[in-house]
Amino acid sequence: MIVERIVSETKDQFPIGMRVLAVDDDPTCLLLLETLLRRCQYHVTTTSLAVTALKMLRENKNRFDLVISDVHMPDMDGFKLLELVGLEMDLPVIMLSANGDTKLVMKGITHGACDYLLKPVRIEELKNIWQHVVRRKKFDRKDQNNSDSQNKPHAGSGEAAGIGMLITV
Amino acid sequence: MDRNPLRRQLQIMRKSFFDQGYLDEQFVQLEELQDEANPNFVEEVVTLYYRDSARLILSIEQALERKPFDFNKLDAHMHQFKGSSSSIGAKKVKAESTQFREYCKSRNREGCTRCFQQLKKEYATLRKKLEAYFQLARQAGPMETACRPK
Repeated sequence: MIVERIVSETKDQFPIGMRVLAVDDDPTCLLLLETLLRRCQYHVTTTSLAVTALKMLRENKNRFDLVISDVHMPDMDGFKLLELVGLEMDLPVIMLSANGDTKLVMKGITHGACDYLLKPVRIEELKNIWQHVVRRKKFDRKDQNNSDSQNKPHAGSGEAAGIGMLITV
Repeated sequence: MDRNPLRRQLQIMRKSFFDQGYLDEQFVQLEELQDEANPNFVEEVVTLYYRDSARLILSIEQALERKPFDFNKLDAHMHQFKGSSSSIGAKKVKAESTQFREYCKSRNREGCTRCFQQLKKEYATLRKKLEAYFQLARQAGPMETACRPK
């Protein structure tokens, strides 16, 4: 199938072709997010419904590398989606919100978000999100002795709790 | 400055939007996403914004007519409206949204009502300006190089 071939071709050029699922009920924000992600050369799937996102993820969790979702959605609380994705699929989830209130950011991180971005999102921030995918893979392997930590992005303190820092070049 | 008079006019118009505070840096982000593959991106996003936000404006209007005010609902609507507005760089509209949310937090009915009238004015003014801008852009034809503002 052509789709599979394209996916396997771009897998070697990671983060090019990284497969992102973007969820936002606001169509303006979703269009902007989709365009920004495509400009980063990620492979983007969008939906305005959290329930649809969950359905897609449940159908095939290997279809995506990362989920990026708005916090406030009418059909399901973004934090709920975040929890379910973390429990069922163990994929990195980035939360998005126009609200930067510390309490909300804390809630996102404690519910398992690997990052919390403020709207409007800038392309510079999205250019770094692939680091969450790599970091997660690294800790999944639990291969501390063999890990080539010099070459991998350096996460800094607090990484065990899942609160990572992104290196912005 | 461009030699083509229409494009010069366009540049002047565009600069005025930033100088007068109607648009902020986010609008430039939209322009940077416009390319050969996506030649009308800015207009598309702005059109989508005005189409979609109309229902939010209506919801807020209806909520402001109810007694007593449901400040939480008003705030929730405005939160979303603010998110959309900031995505297109609508600076004055965004500022009014922030003010409105402050009035919601302090449960100020007068403040909310007054602020919303002002917000609608800014929202309508920006729409007119951008419509004129896109119309002129179409007449002027495609730009050879993108100009970044200072």
